[in-house]
Amino acid sequence: MSASRPQPRGPVHAGAHGRTSGESEARISRGARVRGRITGTGDLVIEGNVEGDVNVRGDLTIAEGATVTSPSVGAGAVTIAGTLEGNVAATGPVRLAPTARVRGDLQGTQVAIDDGARFSGRLDCEFDLPPELGGSSQAETRGRASARR
Amino acid sequence: MTSSASNVTIIGKSTRVRGRVHGPGDLEVQGFVDGEIAVTGDVTIALHGMVGAGVKGRRLVVRGAVKGDLVGDEAILLEDGARVVGDVRAPRVSIGVGALVRGFVETGEGGAAPARAARPQAAVRPAHTPERTHAPERTHTPERVPALAAKAAPAKVVAPPARAAATNSHASASSGPRRPPPPVVPVLKGAKGQIAKKRER
Amino acid sequence: MASTIIGAGITIEGEISTDEDIVVAGTVRGKLTAKEAVTIEHGATVEADVQGSSLIVGGALTGNVTASERVDLQSGSRVIGNVKAARVTIADGAQFKGNVDMDV
Repeated sequence: MSASRPQPRGPVHAGAHGRTSGESEARISRGARVRGRITGTGDLVIEGNVEGDVNVRGDLTIAEGATVTSPSVGAGAVTIAGTLEGNVAATGPVRLAPTARVRGDLQGTQVAIDDGARFSGRLDCEFDLPPELGGSSQAETRGRASARR
Repeated sequence: MTSSASNVTIIGKSTRVRGRVHGPGDLEVQGFVDGEIAVTGDVTIALHGMVGAGVKGRRLVVRGAVKGDLVGDEAILLEDGARVVGDVRAPRVSIGVGALVRGFVETGEGGAAPARAARPQAAVRPAHTPERTHAPERTHTPERVPALAAKAAPAKVVAPPARAAATNSHASASSGPRRPPPPVVPVLKGAKGQIAKKRER
Repeated sequence: MASTIIGAGITIEGEISTDEDIVVAGTVRGKLTAKEAVTIEHGATVEADVQGSSLIVGGALTGNVTASERVDLQSGSRVIGNVKAARVTIADGAQFKGNVDMDV
């Protein structure tokens, strides 16, 4: 797939220092292809193809039609309507739109998956079960069998 | 005073069941069921309902707390208020804002419970054993994996597939691009390890 | 409508306890303890000791029964077990085998 736009190699810094569009967010447009690491302080919208770590302080949107392959995706709020292979660690909420195709683990303050989204991976929200079911969250992840008495 | 015009079972708010619940029909849990639930109909876990083991049914709607795996033949809906520690598997899974989950979630063909005779894709299916019905369901996964190959790596790959420029290559990921991956032996914790062992039979 | 209904076809193996009333139309094996009325419908199968404020049996029950108020075995019911309640009625057509203790 040859891109009509330049293909950045190596780390791409989005946000305050390296905006790819004139708006307050950084955008990797549909035909663009990035191989390498993306870091930034602002928001990031990915509409193209990205392979590599993604780490932004702001919100991340993976638009429908976009493809991201990444061992590690970090952001504030994350909205996914495209394809993602990789793990997400969000400091805010994570949301998979109906067109999302995600394979990987998701972590966030909350995770919502819309009906129709395809997902395969772990969800790790922080919460406690009621005391009748064992209470503390840590007990379960270490092995349900031992926690159940 | 017949109540079974529709085959609905309701575990009331102040009711506690310590044991298994299974059979045809729909089930609503408003109280506490500390045992496996396996019904052919729909299961609703109400807001203050609690289930301390796995739940299997056609459509599962969860608004309460579950400590166990959820397996739906058709769909699973986790609504605001739901707290689930366990795996969630169904062809369609919807997790609403406010629902909290800790476990493996799988939608689509890989998320389907092995057909209870209704699904055309049901190939060889070992007989349902009352305990640990998870085991036969997991052995079903290898038949489905070739269909998943087009989606790239098998279910448990945490890192991107080998073809990615980024580094990680995991044992379970297929080394060739489109070769059907070997049967997936999930790396799971706790009780699930037993399932993995059972699958080796 | 009862607070808890065990529908026909459903089987519960284990212990059921409730603060309210319960209707069993399915199968219960184990133990059943209610603070209020227990109804075992025609067609239901209960293999358990049963406790409640009152008990109406229309189906099959194997187990000991303790009710604080009354026990009614309806026509068509089949009960094997001891019954302990302040008042007991066994209808014509009920099958019963066990002891009856009304000295509560």
